[in-house]
Amino acid sequence: MSDTTPEPNDVAPHTSPNTQRQRASQLAQALRQELHKAVIGQQDVVDGVLTALIAGGHVLVEGVPGLGKTLLVRALARCFGGDFARIQFTPDLMPSDITGHAVYDMASEQFKLRKGPVFTNLLLADEINRAPAKTQAALLEVMQERQVTLEGRALAAPQPFLVMATQNPIEQEGTYPLPEAELDRFMLMLRMDYPQADEELALVRQVTRSVRTDILDVSGLRVLLQAKDVQALQKIASDLPLDDQVLDYAVRLARATRNWPGLTLGAGPRASIALVRCARARALLRGGDFVVPNDVKGCALAVLRHRVRLSPELDIEGTSVDQLLQQLLEQIAAPRL
Amino acid sequence: MQLNDASMAIRPRTAWEALDLGVLLARRHAALLMLSWALVTLPIFTLFSLLFWQYPTLALLLFWWLKPLYERLPLFILSKALFGDTPTLRQSIRALPQLLRSQWLASVTWRRFSVTRSFDLPVLQLEQLSGSARQQRLAVLGQRDSRAASWLTLVGMHLEMGLWLGALALMYMLIPQQMLADWNWQDLLGMSGDWLWFEHLSNLMYALVLAVWEPIYVASGFSLYLNRRTTLEAWDVELTFRRLQARVKTVLSVLLVGMGLWLLPVPNAALAAPDADETVQTKEASGPQSDRLLKQPLTSREASERISELLDQPPFRNRETVTRWRFTEEADGEPGWFARLLERLLRSELVAQRPDRLASVIEVFLWAALFGLTGWLLWRYRDWIKLYVNPRQTLRFRQRQPAPSALFGLDVQPESLPPDVIAEVQRLWHDHPREALGLLYRAFLSRLLHERQLPLKSSHTEGEILELLRHEAQPQLLDYAEALTRHWLGLAYGNQLPPDATRDELCQRWLTVFGSEASHD
Repeated sequence: MSDTTPEPNDVAPHTSPNTQRQRASQLAQALRQELHKAVIGQQDVVDGVLTALIAGGHVLVEGVPGLGKTLLVRALARCFGGDFARIQFTPDLMPSDITGHAVYDMASEQFKLRKGPVFTNLLLADEINRAPAKTQAALLEVMQERQVTLEGRALAAPQPFLVMATQNPIEQEGTYPLPEAELDRFMLMLRMDYPQADEELALVRQVTRSVRTDILDVSGLRVLLQAKDVQALQKIASDLPLDDQVLDYAVRLARATRNWPGLTLGAGPRASIALVRCARARALLRGGDFVVPNDVKGCALAVLRHRVRLSPELDIEGTSVDQLLQQLLEQIAAPRL
Repeated sequence: MQLNDASMAIRPRTAWEALDLGVLLARRHAALLMLSWALVTLPIFTLFSLLFWQYPTLALLLFWWLKPLYERLPLFILSKALFGDTPTLRQSIRALPQLLRSQWLASVTWRRFSVTRSFDLPVLQLEQLSGSARQQRLAVLGQRDSRAASWLTLVGMHLEMGLWLGALALMYMLIPQQMLADWNWQDLLGMSGDWLWFEHLSNLMYALVLAVWEPIYVASGFSLYLNRRTTLEAWDVELTFRRLQARVKTVLSVLLVGMGLWLLPVPNAALAAPDADETVQTKEASGPQSDRLLKQPLTSREASERISELLDQPPFRNRETVTRWRFTEEADGEPGWFARLLERLLRSELVAQRPDRLASVIEVFLWAALFGLTGWLLWRYRDWIKLYVNPRQTLRFRQRQPAPSALFGLDVQPESLPPDVIAEVQRLWHDHPREALGLLYRAFLSRLLHERQLPLKSSHTEGEILELLRHEAQPQLLDYAEALTRHWLGLAYGNQLPPDATRDELCQRWLTVFGSEASHD
């Protein structure tokens, strides 16, 4: 561990804003280093998850099985001092299995609310697209409103609250596509690809050294964050200065998807909001004092890819959403001063 | 033809069931069929064999070629036997010349290789049809079961071959072992004159095989024909009605007498009978078309009208009016305007005298249409073209594109920059630091673009420009770019004024990186 790595609970509210910002940035970077101990390679995905955590959003990770999606969340949960829950989505999972339900208590002769696993800080929704839409939609309210309505009562979810869902590519058998309304609730959609040769080499070496033979051991990771630290990070990120030109750039990017040839469905205002929040989080993560256009552009692909829909012609042709969005990003002018 | 007398159950059957019935028919009259066949064919076979003793193959070929003529006799016997009038052998042989008379030439020439021969034969022989009438009849009959008839012929050919080979094998087995010892296959294959008797013997085997198979073949084709007619002409239904008629005939007389007695006028009833007018009215009132239920809220007439009204509406009747252009003549027989125009055009002197001019006009029109369509397609899909043609250009082509004149809202043309950038920056720094740093960054981009040929685009962010520079492998330039970009970003997006010392540092390093202004300008 380097000397600059801050200790947990280091983001004190009583210090000056600049110092706070620096410490927050150091903490975020330390968290990144810690995660990289468990997750070999996958720089973009690790940065994406940290961005979502700092920006207060939810993240959807897609990739074929066995690339370490669950490991990443397990590692994050390990470094995170708050509550952690995991739901394995299956075709027979019911909405009440997620949100909770009322049970009759024989002793008190009254109905009592039993809260579901959703009442946690960090929720891992594993293989979310294995459950039907009804069950997936149970997450909608809590993801957007940070509350769950049970038996007519609105119960607040703990803060901070992050849903990290993993999904297998839709082409795989026995999967249900996520409804657009729910996809829009995810701030980022990250794609996990096969690791590079040297990364895979290191991964295999590390896994075969661990006690459990098939997965990486995360028990060695340090707890760097508590729930209140995350809230502090989120607060600091949201206070980062943002020039109007950068804001305009983010909005222009989101708006361009709405009438871009090749896209039948464009991104809504949630995309613009997510772009700005992610740009702030990225700025904090890189140790910046303010947001620059590069922060916006860097997260644009992850913010937009799940909010747009490719036209059938391009889909048949084999063009991917990422390719089209990349063209869009290459053609939208950067901020003008 | 009396269907009642048919010796088989007449009902519609599948083609394969009909073929099975044919085999049964042939088996029932097997003795007569085979004997008559042998009596007719074996003399002919003997005649051919004697005539062409030196050419046994030719003899067999001729015998085989006349097969359609032999098949007429079995069909005659079967058609008679079907209705219980089985002819004797003598009657059959006597009838043969008459049977062979019609269309014999066609049977052994252009119809010789018809695969539906047995199915078609009854039309020729029993219905006595020829020419177009025969063709039409065959077309109707052949709509079904002709496939089965084709398969019958095909399977028959293989069966003949199989039986023939079997007979030859049997013959071979009957040859004494001592004789076989002297034989050799080369002699057999060489077919020297000493073996002619053997060939004729094998031909005879084939003739005998035909005596067994051909009656079955004819009977199967005939049963297929009967089955098709049963379906077409509903023989089974007719038979049912005939049976019903026969049953009812006995009861009918009794029924008629009873009806007569019931209708006789009774004297007392005559007294009480109404007058003639009333009778007529009653008769009329009881007619199906007359009004009934007159004392009900809904009379039969109203009900009928309502029913008609309902039936005239959807979903019972869906009227649809279609209006469209058509080239056909109007209903009154007058041609439409377009037809009149075309007619006038074609009859005009221009066309009559100078057809080449009309061709030119049409050519011009077609070219115009092609250009118009191409233009419309380009305009219609301009967005797609803009999206997919430009990004797919090669890098070389991109480099040939003119460099952008403005980046990030800054004019990066060398002409727009002051002659001495550094002097201008130092002059502006104190009062207008933003403009000064902006000018420096603008000049920097201009140098990258025009001197270093860096492919900059308006969509590039400052960070991406740094990334591009990292690939250039020029550490000094990269260091300077990082410093300048850091200060520029701080001022542009963070409102952080750089200290005065920065000015001197940036200006000094500028001269190191890009040389003196004089050399540039």
